[in-house]
Amino acid sequence: MAMLSLIGMLRRSLVHRRARSVSALVAMTVSAGVATALLTLYADLDAKLHKEFRSFGANIVIMGPANASLPPDALARVQQAAGADSLAAEFAYAVATTDTGTPVVVAGTDFAAVRRLDSWWQVDAWPDPANANAALLGQRAANFVGNEHAVALTYAEHAVTLQGVGRIKTGGDEDSRIYMPLAAFTAWTGVGPSVIELQVSGGTKRVEAAIAQLQKKLPDAQVQPVRQLVEGESKIVDRTHALMYGAVLLIALTVAVSVLATLSASVLERRRDFALMKALGGSQGQLMGMFLLEALVLALAGVVAGFVVGSAAAWAISEGNFHTATLPHLSVLPMVLLLNLAIAAMAALLPVRVLRGLQPAALLKGE
Amino acid sequence: MFFRLLMESFRRQRRRKMLAGVAILLGTTAVTAMLALATTIGDRIHKELAVYGANIVVYPKADLLDVKVGGVDVKPASGGAYLKESDLAKLKGIFWANNITGVSPELPVQLAIAKQGDNRLFPVKAVGYWFDHDFGTLKTGADALHPWWKLQGDWPIPQAPEKGPSDEDEVVIGSKLANQLGLSIGDRFHSHLTPVTSLRVTGIATTGDEKDNEILLALRDAQRIEFGVSPRSTDASPNARDNSDAISRVEISARTKPEDAFARVDPDSLSPQQREIWYCRPYANSIAYQIREAIPGAQAEQVRRVEQSEGNVLKRISGLMWLISAAALLAAGFAVSAAMATAILERRGEIGLMRSLGASKGAIAFLFYSETGLLAVFAGSLGYLAGSGLAAWLGARIFRGDGGAAGAVLIPVLLPVVVALALVVAIAGSTPSIRTALRMEPSAILREDA
Repeated sequence: MAMLSLIGMLRRSLVHRRARSVSALVAMTVSAGVATALLTLYADLDAKLHKEFRSFGANIVIMGPANASLPPDALARVQQAAGADSLAAEFAYAVATTDTGTPVVVAGTDFAAVRRLDSWWQVDAWPDPANANAALLGQRAANFVGNEHAVALTYAEHAVTLQGVGRIKTGGDEDSRIYMPLAAFTAWTGVGPSVIELQVSGGTKRVEAAIAQLQKKLPDAQVQPVRQLVEGESKIVDRTHALMYGAVLLIALTVAVSVLATLSASVLERRRDFALMKALGGSQGQLMGMFLLEALVLALAGVVAGFVVGSAAAWAISEGNFHTATLPHLSVLPMVLLLNLAIAAMAALLPVRVLRGLQPAALLKGE
Repeated sequence: MFFRLLMESFRRQRRRKMLAGVAILLGTTAVTAMLALATTIGDRIHKELAVYGANIVVYPKADLLDVKVGGVDVKPASGGAYLKESDLAKLKGIFWANNITGVSPELPVQLAIAKQGDNRLFPVKAVGYWFDHDFGTLKTGADALHPWWKLQGDWPIPQAPEKGPSDEDEVVIGSKLANQLGLSIGDRFHSHLTPVTSLRVTGIATTGDEKDNEILLALRDAQRIEFGVSPRSTDASPNARDNSDAISRVEISARTKPEDAFARVDPDSLSPQQREIWYCRPYANSIAYQIREAIPGAQAEQVRRVEQSEGNVLKRISGLMWLISAAALLAAGFAVSAAMATAILERRGEIGLMRSLGASKGAIAFLFYSETGLLAVFAGSLGYLAGSGLAAWLGARIFRGDGGAAGAVLIPVLLPVVVALALVVAIAGSTPSIRTALRMEPSAILREDA
């Protein structure tokens, strides 16, 4: 019976002062929503940043012993050791002579793999994969070639004519090279791939683990990290992470304190209810329980609504900024729940000191 | 009377004013801190991204192709073209000179050295660099542009020009070469190529690339070894003097704006006005264009691997910061207006009393808005100061050890912005409560409160 009346009172209290309940509910929803959005983004941040860093290309270079060729199944072994989400491309190099008599570095590679790995290459037309004699000319190398569309090269007395389909512009060593498909390159020069460029996504630890794995699989090869990339990536991800952490704390604090202020003011306003119940024989504990329960119900409702709103906000932010969706993380729910319940409990209990000192009779009389 | 009401309201209702004031204070603190961080994040992340090295390279236009395989350069030694070290001063005169944060010229030379206890000579590649070089207001050089190089010992100091050829040149050797030769810091050895040079090891560098097999020395020493003449000596042949300040390549690190579609157009195809706009934006392409204009015979290119990817990362991180700032703004705005609404709602009794004493609705509204405004300006300014301090502290903590980044983040432009925002949000938050209270019958309010 006591239980029933408690629920009845709770319902009445929430429904009767609808405007107040709604504004308290909105406040709880905002605090839960902001916490959900920030925590969801925070949970995904590292993965998202590491993904952005993939645009820097390879972070591990595997070279054959003393510039000799790597074993023929090296690429497959590298792929297997580095995991499915890594990108790898193999390169074979030789110095050939152009028709104008200039020595030039010719590289054989797999264009499809390079295109995925080295997204910064500015290429006006990637060759058709079916075209076995297609070549890409570095922008500097192109100046030393007589005919850009029929590139005549000589390597150790073997001549070959490639069909130049486009130019590469990178600002690096690639500008002085000519790239061609690996199969045609090996058929022409007899030289196999000597370098594999590999990109492993993740921080320093993942890269180091991958290097250890690779050294085991390819004991003869030299496996080296591209040091500036690996170090820089970890540093920037760490700093952004810390920045985000600071932002999350700051915003959560602001919202929490403001919501707390609003809610406890609304509890204070109900001094008259408090006095009436006390005059009717309610004990201090019962009355506080009543206020607390009410606040907790509102907090719970706020968490449900806030989780939906916050997840939607996190999705929108990461879609807008990183162009990949962030799905709702159920793992942030306990944290959000805890935060909101703590705010609600404090909002209900903080005014206790003020209320305890009041005499019901004086309050009811309006003094 | 009006001012007395205003003053007394602040004097007597401290608790209520505190509530609204604290909400505004916290809100503006959070917003100021986030905005201050978001506006400076570009520079900070750029500094971090400097670990990737130069984003623009300059080389002589007439140079032969680099024939480099696996770090071994087999370019024919003769016929190479050079730039002049003295021309680098012209970089300080280009439009975006202030955006240039690092300059590192280099000149490769060939040395022939013998292992200890073995008289066979073998060729070693050496490169002359600037180390800690004064360039206008900058201290720059290879060490600044390659922060991932790890050095034991000291960078070499160039020999004074008046010293004779018998004096020692200071060098840093790559770690693998040092191992191979059994050299350590303080050891001396000779290069037996003419002119015979004595060298002293001042440091051992680990670079993680082919430089581990090379020797690094001061640019001026490299020029003297390569061209056999000290730069300022007067008795050199005209030809040697021409080359005495030669450099073969320059790496430049510049603060740039991430590339967009407009950055990629060819400036010579634009109308004069459009070209002007293109020229005056700090794109890597336009800085490279200005370098080409400034240094005769130079070809400047953006290093796309660094430049493109940096732009990408920079855009994402600062985008994230702006979005979070927007979220902070939204949350703070909501919190402040909710607190204001509560504060006014609590004072309905006052409104009823004033109305029953004959105050017009306009006068009451004016009084309440003045209170709100005063509170917003006061708490907003305090919040601005607190937020700036917080941003400086957070920035210094997170980006510590980067030098210069720890400076105070007091951005004056933010003050009016933040205070205006606080004002708008506080007034917007209190409007519905004031209107409801004014709409009600004064007698009803007073009876309810009795």
